[in-house]
Amino acid sequence: MTVSSDQELMLTERANHLVRQARLAAAVFTQYSQEKVDKIVRAMTAAAIENAGKMALMAHQETRMGVTEDKILKNLVASEFLYHQIKDKRTVGITREFPDLNMVEVAEPMGVIFALAPVTNPTSTVIFKSICCAKTRNTVIFSAHLMAAESSNFAAKIMYEAALEAGAPKGFITWVDKSSRLRRTSELLMHHPEVDLIFATGGQAMVKAAYSSGKPALGVGPGNTPVYVHKSANVASAAMDIIISKTFDNGTECPSEQTLVIDREISDEIIAEFKRLGCHVCSQEEVLKISALIVDPRNGGINYKLVGQPANLIADQAGLNITTPIKMLLCPLLGELRHHPLAIEKLMPVLGYVIVDSVNEGINKALDINYAGGTGHTAGIFCEDDNVIERYSEAINAGRIIVNSPASIGGLGGVYNHLNTTLSFGCGTGGGNITTDNVGIKNLINFKRVPRRRNYVISFQTTKNIYINPGSIDHLRNLKCQSAFIITSRSASRRGHLAMVTERLPQDCHVDVFADMGPEPDFATLQRVVESMRRTKPDTVIALGGGSVLDAAKIIRLFYDYPDLKISEVAVNFLDFHHRMIEFPTDMKTQLVAIPTTSGTGSEVTPFAVLKDGHRKISLIDECMLPDIAIIDANLTRSLPADITGDTAFDALTHALEALVSTFSSDYTDGLALEALRLIFESLPETLKNPNSIVHRHKLHNAATLAGMAIANASVGVNHALAHALGARFDIPHGRANAAFLLSTIEYNAQIPSKFVSVPCYPLWIADRKYARAAQFIGLKDDLQPGESEEIGRRRLVQKLRQAIFDLAKLANQALSVAELGIPLEAYMAAIPELTEIAFGDMSIRTNPRYALAPEVAQLFATAYPPRERPSI
Amino acid sequence: MAEPVKERKLEKIRILGDLERGLDDVDKKLARGNTDIEFDFSGCPFISVDGLEWLEEFLLRADSLKSTVTFINVQNPVYKVFKVAHIDSLMRACGAPNQESQGLSC
Repeated sequence: MTVSSDQELMLTERANHLVRQARLAAAVFTQYSQEKVDKIVRAMTAAAIENAGKMALMAHQETRMGVTEDKILKNLVASEFLYHQIKDKRTVGITREFPDLNMVEVAEPMGVIFALAPVTNPTSTVIFKSICCAKTRNTVIFSAHLMAAESSNFAAKIMYEAALEAGAPKGFITWVDKSSRLRRTSELLMHHPEVDLIFATGGQAMVKAAYSSGKPALGVGPGNTPVYVHKSANVASAAMDIIISKTFDNGTECPSEQTLVIDREISDEIIAEFKRLGCHVCSQEEVLKISALIVDPRNGGINYKLVGQPANLIADQAGLNITTPIKMLLCPLLGELRHHPLAIEKLMPVLGYVIVDSVNEGINKALDINYAGGTGHTAGIFCEDDNVIERYSEAINAGRIIVNSPASIGGLGGVYNHLNTTLSFGCGTGGGNITTDNVGIKNLINFKRVPRRRNYVISFQTTKNIYINPGSIDHLRNLKCQSAFIITSRSASRRGHLAMVTERLPQDCHVDVFADMGPEPDFATLQRVVESMRRTKPDTVIALGGGSVLDAAKIIRLFYDYPDLKISEVAVNFLDFHHRMIEFPTDMKTQLVAIPTTSGTGSEVTPFAVLKDGHRKISLIDECMLPDIAIIDANLTRSLPADITGDTAFDALTHALEALVSTFSSDYTDGLALEALRLIFESLPETLKNPNSIVHRHKLHNAATLAGMAIANASVGVNHALAHALGARFDIPHGRANAAFLLSTIEYNAQIPSKFVSVPCYPLWIADRKYARAAQFIGLKDDLQPGESEEIGRRRLVQKLRQAIFDLAKLANQALSVAELGIPLEAYMAAIPELTEIAFGDMSIRTNPRYALAPEVAQLFATAYPPRERPSI
Repeated sequence: MAEPVKERKLEKIRILGDLERGLDDVDKKLARGNTDIEFDFSGCPFISVDGLEWLEEFLLRADSLKSTVTFINVQNPVYKVFKVAHIDSLMRACGAPNQESQGLSC
């Protein structure tokens, strides 16, 4: 039949009118409070309960399907049971709070919903969808099946009038009137730009059309429910439940049983029980007759004239000679199940069955049914063995797997179980849907997530026992230790430090020594030390030396305590300490005593250990790396040559400055960093002037440890990334490499970043202020002139800080540029791309206050080459 | 002889309470002609479907009479109703029509 253009215009106008009513109502509905919504829902539910019988009767009379009494029950499930489940649910404003995640969910209605109602459930579906839409502040336009439009629209009218009376917006529920143009009007509505969502329950053609509309659609898939009756099942109860389910509304419920898979051990018993309870078990000849009647030979589909018809009528029409009333027809499906004509969804009281000899065979047969047109929908199992239920659930692809209950009423939810009550069964991707839910109110809300900024936990850790005065090495006399392994360098041994340690260890303590730890050893060297420790089994490791020795000892202890660890697994880079993928041991078995003999690294109080790996350095970072005891005895630095004193002091200076401006800095680390700076500026010139002054050596030694505590908790920055790359590539001692970049990186970090760092614990870029504060803390002053902004003053202070560092470096004979380190220009420039790549991947860069872009890193390398002039103001 | 040009009048209407139906006196003011209307929504917390339909119709009539209608101080819930209603004339009265985003989907 063709539709004339006038008719088409009229239908379009009708569709526009329906949508306009729904659109205005949807807009107004956004203002409703939870209380107003709940009042409307309550009134609608009461109206549905009051009219359940009338609507059921009308549906049965109009469709000639199913059983009126069961349709009443469905109407009550769709109203009373649904109400019970949703009445206390929040659907307006904040619906859920996640205090641990600092986040809430806020409901937003979806808007105008175009809803289909099927012929099998014409009134219960309308009741269900109307109440769900009211609860979620959506408006709904119903399009019923042509064969059920009068009863569906009657249900819609009852729901609407009750809602309106309770204060719902005018036009909240509308419907397409019954006419020969109903289908065309529905098509127009499906494609209408003002419809926000299609809620499709019905035949596959309509569901497909909904999905093809280009709009969001909540569709459902076809069912073909397999039910496995395991030998452990309660046979009598299972038989009754299956009859209840399959005969419910004469089998029109799509979750209902279609094929039973019965264990042979109980097959005779359950078939006998079915017979006893009034079912007819068909012979093979009868199965053929039923197949011929209910299966359309053209497409293998169901004969829709028989949907929801009673068993006796089907038997009569199939030519079976049954004179007594029967509840359902049981058909043994012999032969290849996958090709059996009755292995399909039969929305009538006709139920297939097969007998199996094992759980394995049973689940496979159930899968044959599950994947024969009903994937993702519903399955059932009668079984008392949890392991079998678990195996079945793992294998079967169904949105709901009903255990020891009628599959149809069980699938509806809320009666036999705690599934959400629904008349719309999501089938997941198996059935071409987006959800496997029992579709309900949660699927009709746009949930808005409102995450507050993370409350970032910043902690402070340091070495537990720190002995801090000259002469504190005497603590070794009281060390609880039976077997010590001393790791040190040749120079420490030469300078008499090793003897100072061994003399003070308890007399009964066995002592072994590895005195050949060179600067920046590789992992193979450390592994050799671990092997030698395994022979003597020490309970204490004593690290005596500079940064390389202390770092090496941390790694050696780790691998001695945990031999199964892999260096490649613990040296994994990370963006955020809290989210890193690697896990370190939580407790160490061997005591680690760190005794620094230089005043720079701070390693005695840090959880870091840096290891050279070819042309790069890798870092191991974890609290378990912290030494247990640190002895900060300046006597051990008394003989330190001036150049090493300067190098290491500049390492400590860099630590203090980078920790101060780090994105992880805190009041705790700021205090340490500032005091470390002050001590270095005060004591380094004095120490260089008078190397034997233990007073100033002591201050310098403490400064290094304080700066170490600061970086242990705030980490470092881009300067260290550059220095690590340069040091590894050109064998430059760490402190000297740091100094070469220091003036560049302060200038760089003090400028407004070209890209800010996205770290939740760093809400404001303040690097320039921090540097200015550092300048003031070491006694530099700046007076603002009239009319000058604070920013100009800050800039001047930063420059004064750079001048002070320049002056200190000159005093300490420190190279402040790469050229001064003796690296040839050509070799350096050629290495910059590789250096940039390595520096960009260095973890130190992660806590820099300015997001260091790769070209900027390259530029920092390039500008650090020429010898420097004293910074000008 | 040309008729003297009447001076246009600006009527300021403050909507107090819920807007649940049309306002007859405002309709009359508009009908008198030569009048621009400014609705102040600062005292209006709620609008019903009837109120919305009246506003839309009022704007249509104003347009045919060449009267300008503006909405000021629209409260968030009511402004959201205007947004969800997808009625351009309402948004124009608020200052600008709705605009469809043509951005990337991601």
